[in-house]
Amino acid sequence: MIEAIAFYSMAAVALLGALLVVSLRNTVHSSLALGLSLAGVAGIFANLGADFLFAGQLLIYVGGIAIIIVFVVMLLGRTSDLHLRQVNQQWGAALLVCAMAGVSLWRLARGYLGVRAAAPAMPTTRAIGLLMLNDYAVPFELVTLVLVAALLGAIFFSRKSADDEVPS
Amino acid sequence: MSLGHYLLLGAGLFVIGLFGALTRRNVIGILMSIELMFNAANINLAACNSYLHPAGVAGMTLAIFVITVAAAEVVVGLALVLAVYRNSATAYVEDFSLLKG
Repeated sequence: MIEAIAFYSMAAVALLGALLVVSLRNTVHSSLALGLSLAGVAGIFANLGADFLFAGQLLIYVGGIAIIIVFVVMLLGRTSDLHLRQVNQQWGAALLVCAMAGVSLWRLARGYLGVRAAAPAMPTTRAIGLLMLNDYAVPFELVTLVLVAALLGAIFFSRKSADDEVPS
Repeated sequence: MSLGHYLLLGAGLFVIGLFGALTRRNVIGILMSIELMFNAANINLAACNSYLHPAGVAGMTLAIFVITVAAAEVVVGLALVLAVYRNSATAYVEDFSLLKG
């Protein structure tokens, strides 16, 4: 009973935040709604018993990605943006594509409505750490390489180029 | 709660993110919608892990990798957006026609 209440409230937060993200006209409000939706997904992870994923979602997504998106929105925003439409001309076709994808996914997911949890959830952090350093050691090292490359790429793309700097 | 509920929630989040990625004009809005789709995939990974294979944690580990790569993607994507904005002073994708010459 408690699990159902937690699931439905967290699902409502996640879906409502997502709807606000795609429908709000003000990009600042939309990025704040993204943080709300990501926090709702973190609640879903907590409801599933995925404790390490819950902490990672809160730390990386809500605390990192949502904040950096808010920063960039504030760097790029202009007040004239509030009067422009934020949805392009092809929204009808996009609605059709989304309806087809939604119906297909619903027909796929419908078959699993009877699958119940086999066992109560156990802590997963130790098992994830062991898996990452044994079986998934090579992907783990590759991800560290990807992170270093992203760091260098972000610095490379966001600095001013040398010919922009006028000596004064 | 059954596995189907979580899969339906993931499907709903994915469809909303797909609609946003197809229709937003602002490039940051598109990036945010892609984040929603990543989250839908993560919900599916974690739910299938804990319902269908509760003894292992491979699905949750894959979701951790997805979160990490999504963080890297957002950082590089936003740096690129800033670089394009510095050149063309716009954040709307229909004005990003630099490669047409």
